[in-house]
Amino acid sequence: MKKNKMIRTILIEALLIFVTIIILLPLFLAVTMSLKKPSEVFVYPPTIFPNSFYIQNYINAFNSINLGRLMLNSLIMSVVIMIGKTIFGILSGYAFSNFRFKGSSLLFALLFVTLFMPAELIMIVPLFQIMQSLHWVNTYWALTVPFLASATTTFLMRQHFMTIPKELEDAAKIDGAGPMRFLLEILIPLSKSTIGGVAVINFVYAWNLYLWPLVVTNSNEMATAQIGLKMLTNVESTSNWGVIMAGTLMVLAPTLILFFAVQKLFVRGIVTTGLKE
Amino acid sequence: MAKKIFPYLLLVPTFIIIAIFIYYPAFQTFKLSFYRMSPFGNRLFFVGFQNFWSLFTSGQYIQSALTTLIFVTVTVIGGLIISLLLALLLNERVPGIGVFRTLIFAPYAISPAVAGTLWAFLLSPVAGYVSYLFLILFKAQPQWLTTYPLALIAIMIATIWKNLGFNVIFFLAGLQSIPQSYYEAATIDGANSVHRLLRITIPLLSPITFYLIVMNVTFTAFSAFATIDVMTQGGPANTTSTLIYKLYQDGFVNFNTGFASAESVVLILIMAVFTYLYFKFGQKAVFYQ
Amino acid sequence: MRKVFLFSVLTFLAVAIFAAPVTIQFWHAMGGTDRIQLLQNLANEFMQQNPDIKVDVQYTGSYTDTMTKMIAAVRAGNPPDLVMIYDIGTQMMIDSGVIIPIQNMIDKDPSFDINTLVPASRGYYTVGGKLYSMPFNSSNPVIFYNKTLFEKAGLDPNNPPNTFEEFIEYAKKLTVKDANGNTIQYGFTFGSGEPLAWFFEQFMAVQNALLLNNNNGRDGRATKAVFANEAGLRIFNFFNEMIQNGSAINAGPGWDNARQIFISQRAAMLITSTSDVNMMVKAAQSGNFSLGVMFLPHPSGVPYGGVIVGGASLWMVNTNNAQREEATWKFLKFLESTDAQIQWSTGTGYFPVNKNAIIKLLYEGYYAKNPPYLVTVLQLLMSNVTPATRGGATGAFPQIRTAVDTAFGKMFTKAMTPQQALQWAQDQANQAIANYNSMY
Repeated sequence: MKKNKMIRTILIEALLIFVTIIILLPLFLAVTMSLKKPSEVFVYPPTIFPNSFYIQNYINAFNSINLGRLMLNSLIMSVVIMIGKTIFGILSGYAFSNFRFKGSSLLFALLFVTLFMPAELIMIVPLFQIMQSLHWVNTYWALTVPFLASATTTFLMRQHFMTIPKELEDAAKIDGAGPMRFLLEILIPLSKSTIGGVAVINFVYAWNLYLWPLVVTNSNEMATAQIGLKMLTNVESTSNWGVIMAGTLMVLAPTLILFFAVQKLFVRGIVTTGLKE
Repeated sequence: MAKKIFPYLLLVPTFIIIAIFIYYPAFQTFKLSFYRMSPFGNRLFFVGFQNFWSLFTSGQYIQSALTTLIFVTVTVIGGLIISLLLALLLNERVPGIGVFRTLIFAPYAISPAVAGTLWAFLLSPVAGYVSYLFLILFKAQPQWLTTYPLALIAIMIATIWKNLGFNVIFFLAGLQSIPQSYYEAATIDGANSVHRLLRITIPLLSPITFYLIVMNVTFTAFSAFATIDVMTQGGPANTTSTLIYKLYQDGFVNFNTGFASAESVVLILIMAVFTYLYFKFGQKAVFYQ
Repeated sequence: MRKVFLFSVLTFLAVAIFAAPVTIQFWHAMGGTDRIQLLQNLANEFMQQNPDIKVDVQYTGSYTDTMTKMIAAVRAGNPPDLVMIYDIGTQMMIDSGVIIPIQNMIDKDPSFDINTLVPASRGYYTVGGKLYSMPFNSSNPVIFYNKTLFEKAGLDPNNPPNTFEEFIEYAKKLTVKDANGNTIQYGFTFGSGEPLAWFFEQFMAVQNALLLNNNNGRDGRATKAVFANEAGLRIFNFFNEMIQNGSAINAGPGWDNARQIFISQRAAMLITSTSDVNMMVKAAQSGNFSLGVMFLPHPSGVPYGGVIVGGASLWMVNTNNAQREEATWKFLKFLESTDAQIQWSTGTGYFPVNKNAIIKLLYEGYYAKNPPYLVTVLQLLMSNVTPATRGGATGAFPQIRTAVDTAFGKMFTKAMTPQQALQWAQDQANQAIANYNSMY
């Protein structure tokens, strides 16, 4: 039935293309805007394609705000936060999914509630005061340490670990493996796609932080990419939207590269039930 | 002995961080909900529950709560359904699937403010692409950002669009861990694809779905304010003003700190109650192997 | 040998200690790559002339972001020396207790003549007879119009409307519908949200009407909003009539959508800020239409007041360090100097706050070459400086703006009549003012 399979593949590809185009339309708008000269941006009827590939926007965006350095800062911040959240989240998730211990419900609730306490919205001034007293203002410490824990990751890993059959754990105990070995050698390898997914999410979260880095950095050398993007926008008078979109797309690129690398872990049909029958 | 404290040890890093950098500062904020404070903090007056009282007797706050309820419900349910369908599609092993996945993930990777900006351009009256298309195709000129309920619908579309990537990733990961053998066995038993979807896929996805529902509710309740700020600023006439947007306004535009603190306390309480009920009753629908 | 060595070391130390540059921090909200560069250039020029002073120029986000960062810094005990705060933050800054009123510096320093400041800008930042902050980037509202579309509609392009009534008439004539009844050209467009609230305040000033009591909060703390009167109603009716009869389109929140509609020639008249002049001139050239600029219209029969300055000003922060304060004052004087103001104005579209800069630009033929700029400057200079045109001062200003904008929204969507909406806005404003004032 190879012909059937080919037809199915073609249909799926067609559907994928259709769906992707629809979903990507707003970003496509960003791309075309980034290639337009300032005079082309606000025309009527609105044009889809630019008259020429005006790359100057990209050059302007990159050079005028030293985007390279800013993206490096963002990268350091985001990688550290990603690693911290993922590791600490795996450890805590494991505690809540595989162990019965006193106070576990209360501790889980305490951690869970932090989901409703976004730092930037609710506690920016007190948190900044802590940074001041720790002498962390304008350092990578202030950009990373407050965000190393993650209720999201903990909750997610708990959910995922709970889907792993108990028989695996029993088998490991019989083999003499301690809980840490079980985690490292069995659970984590079985959770590659979930961990990959949450790592990307944590990276994106850190990458898109704006207000906290703005408040906590005091020099252009420590500023992050999101602050750089804001630098491109005018207040009160018209912004140069071509340059802003060019900058936005450049800042978007690292997250997409990371995601592309991680999604390779999402390969269907490899997972078995895990039990050697 | 080591065995008993082991789970606690696992929790130490997380809890040190949240104790120092979340709970301690959050506490400072909550204290302020009983005060009236000047923007720069140089004037502080204890007002007891007055901030809370003002909230509950304010028609605008109640209106925001209702708006939030509608917004969250539609966005979460709509978003999850669309994301599940997308995940099923993206689960296929066809050439180039990696590129498609990355492209569909892209909206999640941009910040909420950028998402709002793009949609504001698309929906701009007269010269926006969507407005222009509507004029050409349907000969109509809906005012997306300045009339009710179109403005609310616009915000919902923008938020669903932005959060697709998040849901798709985890649905995909969940789909990965459903053993092929289950589907094979079901097919042998004569189940068609809809059957397989309803009887195998969805139940086995329920742990992830349980997680996603809560996360989506949290996002739409907490993060969408940047999108709203760019697209409608809570208008027209407060009809797209959600609880978090009001909080943002009171804290970061009006600099009315004590009042904003009270709003955050109320919001956390609402979410806590929702979560408690959700965990209590929702767990029963979840199927763990 | 040893004596020489010791002497060298001591000299080196002395030079190092006494020649160590004073570093001052300057936070601003002027986003846009050319503006950031321009401010840095000005700072560099100043540092060249003053090698003992180092100015750290920092972009700190939008106006509200800058205020948030400022508040956090103050409450943590580490504020900058000089910060740019938006116009409506004036009373909040005065009440902060951390600023040094500019008047104090001027009183101590006879070399700075306060009369070089454009009266309107100076008046805005003067409360209770004292100048608190130094005007820097001042703007005005202005109305751009499409002369080409005027001609097409049979209107004289050199005779734009002066009164509300004329404006409404023109807007109707400039509205074009297609065969299906859809409007393909509007007479007038504007942005809602902050711009619309600002325009409301401007039109109050145009009628010489106060926004707040106690002479707009200039003679004493404002305790009430007083705009729900005939003057306010005229403004509400003005906008409402055009919206309801379809000759005007509400472009949505912010400045950009409205600009887009005007630039793409889908609307014949646009109300926006003078800082847009540059962009509009360029857009008209590439869009092949002739650009006109006009004063804000006013209701006929009502005495004319003037317009209020917008934008932001520079505030000196008390750091308890005399050296830094002196350095900051020097930098401030530099920024206000004729040459610096010319550079800033010609590079951005804000008009100079230094009269001498305006005069110099005039002599150099700048305004002859750029007539739109002349209109914007004239509208401001021809405004009477009255309490009404000096604008309101209260710490509750952001809430007042939100209330006014929401009221417009309720009126446009016919949830309330103009009178009801106006009264509702005033009630909201009064509540916010009372809340704020209760702390002082």
